This record gives sequence, structure tokens and C-alpha cells, in this order.
Amino acid sequence: MESVNRDREEYSVEIENVHKHYRVYKDKGMELKEKLLFRRRNSYTEHKVLRGVTIRIKRGEAVGFVGHNGCGKSTLLKMISRIIYPDSGTITTRGRISGLIELGAGFHPDMTGRENIYTNAAIYGLSKKEIDARLENIIDFSGIRNAIDTPVRTYSSGMYMRLGFAVAINVDAEILLIDEILAVGDGEFQAKCLNELRTFKERGKTIIIVSHALGQIEELCDKSYWIKDGLVRMEGPPKEVHSVYLSDRQENI
Amino acid sequence: MQNQNVDNKRALTVRRTGQRDGFIQTIKEIIDYREMIKAFVRRDLRGRYKGSFLGFLWTFLNPLLQLCVYSIVFSTILRAGIDKYYLFLFVALIPWIFFSASVTGGATSIISQKEMVKKIYFPREVLPISVVTTNFVNMLLCFIVIFIVIIISGTPLNPIALLCLIPVWIVEYILALGMAFLTSAVTVYMRDMEHILGIVVMAWQYLTPVLYSYDIIPDKYRFLFNLNPMTHVINAYRTILYYHEVPDLSTLLSALVMGILVLIMGLFVFSKLKKRFAEEL
Repeated sequence: MESVNRDREEYSVEIENVHKHYRVYKDKGMELKEKLLFRRRNSYTEHKVLRGVTIRIKRGEAVGFVGHNGCGKSTLLKMISRIIYPDSGTITTRGRISGLIELGAGFHPDMTGRENIYTNAAIYGLSKKEIDARLENIIDFSGIRNAIDTPVRTYSSGMYMRLGFAVAINVDAEILLIDEILAVGDGEFQAKCLNELRTFKERGKTIIIVSHALGQIEELCDKSYWIKDGLVRMEGPPKEVHSVYLSDRQENI
Repeated sequence: MQNQNVDNKRALTVRRTGQRDGFIQTIKEIIDYREMIKAFVRRDLRGRYKGSFLGFLWTFLNPLLQLCVYSIVFSTILRAGIDKYYLFLFVALIPWIFFSASVTGGATSIISQKEMVKKIYFPREVLPISVVTTNFVNMLLCFIVIFIVIIISGTPLNPIALLCLIPVWIVEYILALGMAFLTSAVTVYMRDMEHILGIVVMAWQYLTPVLYSYDIIPDKYRFLFNLNPMTHVINAYRTILYYHEVPDLSTLLSALVMGILVLIMGLFVFSKLKKRFAEEL
């Protein structure tokens, strides 16, 4: 029993036989009147997104999820971060999760960069003390120190992203979820981000990336999962998985 | 390697989605996210009147103007015949505004943060808690005005009675929070709630002795009024601030019990509905 437990501790994310379907409403009425009057119109079709996915990710591993649009990879990411819940199956995570899913979500345009760092880090569940300790690091990393005390509505979208990334990477998470964000920012900042992600990984933390930029996954990840029709079609070294995935995509065109 | 060791020593929060989140666990998580609540309250308090000329003064002006309207109607037109009616009303109106703003504002607390709820994880309870706490702080600020009005009116304050304000505040906060949990979660699934609540809250105000005295309620209906926890809360405020007496312990206790029941019910409904928030929004 002991050893079984210790084995399990190795995994930071365990996805066990997860199923998920969405209700796709034909014509969704949110109002009571509509709900009563058009009861039939509220009929929906069930769209199965995931049908029994099992993925175990070890601590210190960086993995990528690839697949067509709508294959369920983003749904999977949302379930790991507990924004949505599986219909059946379990997802176990160990440690704080930080997401680069929506950088700067929750930023308030009228508040300064510094104030937004506090709010944003608080959204990740940090206490005031923890934020104070990280504040300088975050400002340094963002590289926008001279604009930190002006309202973020004056920021360019690049600055917005920089600040969002700086907070997300510095909240001391064990698990980092990334959804298509490395496509933003200038080349220099992108390189900085990638570098930071590598250091993050070396510190024994887990990274999960969803992206169409296969090159980035190959550069950073140890393993890739190809998800198709709600199932893991293939897993393994990114280059191998991607070549099969790409040829499959060619065939379907 | 050094780092690895440090990491290993730190206890990691293990979360499993299949298993039901227990009540205690939910509370613990909310406490972990207290900084988020503080940040939201601060932001709301500061942002509320941003761009308006009188700014933060509206916190005080709004209830004062309402007080003027009611005072004119009830002491010169309807002639309630109550001594110092403005004071009689004011000490009940401010707490009532806190309660009604929490119920209606709580209702939209989740849907107004739609983008965040759909994109980031945080305990959803934070949103209604923040709204209620913001309104609560607002009420406490308005109490400064109440104290000034009392002093100007020339009645002496009773310090022992004033101490009783603290439990009354707590009871009302619990009650408002419970209602906000209920309304916020239901509104996600039924948007009409927002509009229905406008009427419900208005009716509720007239069914609570805010504008009139508890004494004029006919005996045969009193038991109905006693089922309304806000009756006890408003009565307690009035006993303390208008009559300068220590409120009945039994009144406070029954309000507390009802408040806790509402809170438990609110938390229960909320925990049932919160899992599909991101999909329903």
C-alpha cells in the first residue's frame, strides 16, 4: 500500500476515464417566459466531447495536447483547472494550478498595473504576504516598470500580456496550464517566456500546453498527446506523435 | 536538487473532481482566497462612483436623499405621528438598503463576472461574498452619518445598547450573505430572477417594519411578520438607535437562527449549481 501511494504521489495530474458532453441548444432561451413557452425549442443535442480519456502526467513533466479544433483539448484543460467538471471519471491534481489560459482576465482598466498585480495574484489564491514577496519579481519580469503605476487602460496589448504572464508565472504554481498564448508578444518576450517555462520545468513543476504551434511543443515538451474524437489517439515523444497527427490531417483534407 | 527537496516538504493540495467537495473544504478554500475578496471589495468601493462629480459622497447622499423623500411623505402627508420620524426611519432604512442591495446586487454578482468565471478557476463563492461585503462596508460608513444625526437630534446615546449593534450587524450580514448565495446561483440559470427580485425586494420592504412601527401590525398577523427574519433585525436596530435600549435577546436569537438557516440553504443551493456555471453563462 505504501509503495502504491508513493507511486501515485509522482503524478501531479491524473485524468482517469473522463467523459464529458456539452448540451448544444438549438435555440437557447434563458428567460422564464422562453423556458415555459418554447419548451420544445429548448431541446438540445448532446455533443460528446470526451469519451473516456485517461492521462497521467508526472511531476516535472511538460506535455502538449494536440488535435483538431473542437477535439476536446481545451475542454480537458478547463477541467484540470476546475472551471468545468467531468460527467464521469475523476481528475486528481496535486498543488496550486496557474493558468496562462486567459492572460490578464480580471484586470481592471482603471486600476494601475501594480494594483492589478495584487488583484490578479489574489485570483490565483495568494495571500497579501505572498504577493508582497513576489511583487518585485513580477514587475521585473514584466519589463514595464516605468508604466507600473499608470492605469492598465493605457497599456498596449503587448504590455497587457507581459503583465498577465509575469503574474501567472510567478504565483508559485505546481502545475501550469497554457492555452495558445505563446503566440502573443514580440519575439524577444516570447523567447523570455519560453526560457522561463524551461526553468519552471527544471524546478520539478508540471506544464501542460494546448497549441497548434507544434514547434513550440516539440521544443519544450517531453511528451505529446494527440486527441481525436474524444479519445487519446496516440501518446509519445512529440516529434513522433506530431508526424502521425499531421499525416492524418493531410488525409482528411 | 535543493529545490526539489523544499518542494517535497511542502504539503500539496490534492484535489479530486469526482469526489464531492465537503462543506469544510469549501470554507477552507474561501479563507485561502480572502485576499481576492479584499481586492474585489476595495475595487468596488473605489470604482463605484468613479467618474461621477460627487464621487464617494454618493455613499452618504443616496440614503440621505431617500430619507428626505420618505420623511416628507410620512411626516407631512401621511402623518405617521411618530416623534422624530426622520430618525425613526433613518436607523431602519440604512440597514434595509444594505440588505436589499445585497439581495439584488448578489443576484448579478456571477453573471456580471461572466468572462472571469468562464476562464479562470476560483471558488465561485467569492463573488457573492464580495458584493455583500462591499455593501456591508458601505452600510458601516453610513452609520457614521446615523451617529451624527442622532447626536444632532439631541438624544443621548446609550453605550451598552450601542455594543449590541455588533451582534445585530453580524446577524444581518449572515442573512444577506445567505440570500446572495441563493439569488446569485439561481440567476445564472434563470435570468428573469434579476427582474423578479426588484418586485420581491420592494414587497419585502413593505412587509418589514421599516417605514412603520412594529406596534401597528395587527396582532393576528404578527406571527407572519415574526417569520420574517428582517423584522427582528430592523426591530433590533430601532431599539438600539431610536429607543436607546438593549434589544430583546430572544428577538436577536431567532433572527440569528433564521439567518444561519438561510445561509446553510444558500450555500447548499450554491454548491449544487456552481459546477455548471461556466457552461451556462
